[in-house]
Amino acid sequence: MPREYDDKWDDQLYQKVDRYDLVTNLEQCLQCGKCTGNCPVAALTPSYNPRAIINDILAGSTARLLDSEEIWRCLWCANCYRVCPVDIHYPLLMMQLRYLALEKGYGLKYVVPINKYAFRSMEEGLTFVPGQKGRERIMALRAAIDVSPWPEVSERAKKEFGEIFEQTGCRRWMENLEMEQEKPLRLSFLGRGVIDE
Amino acid sequence: MNEERVISPEQRIGQVPERIFLFRSCTGSMEYPGTEKAVRDVLGQLGVEIVMDADQTCCSGYILTCSGYTPEAPLAVTARNLALVEQRYGLETYVYCNGCFGYIRELSHLLNHVPKFKDEANRLIGQWGYHYQGEAGIYHVQELYYLLIDKIRARVVQPLRGLRVAAHYGCHYLAQQYGILDDGDLPTFHEKIIEALGGTPVFYKERRMCCGYAVGRGFTHKESIVQPLLARKLDSAKDEGVQLITTVCPGCNVALDREQPNLAGRGFGPYNIPVIDLGQLIALAMGMPVGKLGFNANTVSLGGVLNILGIGEDKP
Repeated sequence: MPREYDDKWDDQLYQKVDRYDLVTNLEQCLQCGKCTGNCPVAALTPSYNPRAIINDILAGSTARLLDSEEIWRCLWCANCYRVCPVDIHYPLLMMQLRYLALEKGYGLKYVVPINKYAFRSMEEGLTFVPGQKGRERIMALRAAIDVSPWPEVSERAKKEFGEIFEQTGCRRWMENLEMEQEKPLRLSFLGRGVIDE
Repeated sequence: MNEERVISPEQRIGQVPERIFLFRSCTGSMEYPGTEKAVRDVLGQLGVEIVMDADQTCCSGYILTCSGYTPEAPLAVTARNLALVEQRYGLETYVYCNGCFGYIRELSHLLNHVPKFKDEANRLIGQWGYHYQGEAGIYHVQELYYLLIDKIRARVVQPLRGLRVAAHYGCHYLAQQYGILDDGDLPTFHEKIIEALGGTPVFYKERRMCCGYAVGRGFTHKESIVQPLLARKLDSAKDEGVQLITTVCPGCNVALDREQPNLAGRGFGPYNIPVIDLGQLIALAMGMPVGKLGFNANTVSLGGVLNILGIGEDKP
């Protein structure tokens, strides 16, 4: 196993992760582990450990976080947040940790495939609009129960929805994530043999 | 940290509203259109007038939680949708999807408490004449069902006698921590509603377990995490002899219903437990025609359930 050098540690990691100031109370973490005890993913794959991830973010251990596969396991169910005695919003932390990983080329395969649906939703004002066949199925189902054949979303709504993604720069951020930049993930930052892709 | 966690529906909602703004859910109007129909019909029969608006868009929360969007856009989308309700109707917003509820509550909380987010969102949506104040409340229709439970009980014409129903609460309502109707670990208000409909509520071990679809919708860890998680949940429901599962989130409904054939293909189950929205179950018990409840959209057939209840599936 290669020796860990200090260039893998970053004192500013927490600030870099919490770029939108959404989890300003992370340093209040008691390391009590209630998050992990209530995590359905940790129950299934115990190497995934929200308490340890918080600890690593505060300690600045980039090597154990950014290229790990484990940070992609969170389901965003928010049961960790529900039970946290100091109300740390772990899902918002995870969301931002993943931004940082993506920008460094890790985990793109978990997000880039969703872009197809995201770009379509920017035109439709609805998310997960299927292709033509699926659309026909929905229209038949809706017509059978006497509601309008398609959910009523106005042209105005579609236009403004799309513009918001354009004008905030969100769309550009997404377009900049390219699969070709993908770097390989490590299976587990705890170094244990765990399942996954 | 010092707020009350669990409050009564009277504290939460107060008087039964005469009119509400109903927020359209993408999944609820496309994957399971019967959900939206049932919510509208049930509340209509209970005397609550529904207002919807074609200018409302997707809440945009789902892809945000996948880290697919950066937050600036969903914050502005939330401000726009809520400003539209505030300015045009002055009504409270009711949502029938736990996902929309959680995302809108969370994003509006950020808008209301972080001035830079609100200013930036208002600057952006101001070009189209919107201004978000942050005054109107955001509720889930399940809260209204609970407030109206006696009225629902009185209107049951097709009691669910002999039907073993299990509630799936989902995560994003009870994860709100404060000012919600029940305890996050051991909620029982759905079971009370099922009982009011004449059904037999069934407690199963993994009743509070996540559906697994909260992130990724099959893009992330479907085989390694989502499916084993669902199998664990459905195994525990099967062990208790559950005949029907109810949800209050069309997203959870997709996971629990659509994945059952895939699970069987991997050697889990088979389960054959149909999954419908709680609103659809209330509508069924209140005597709304089965053919108009949109059960044809379901992967796992409702046929067995309708047989137990002695209702023919009058297909349209």
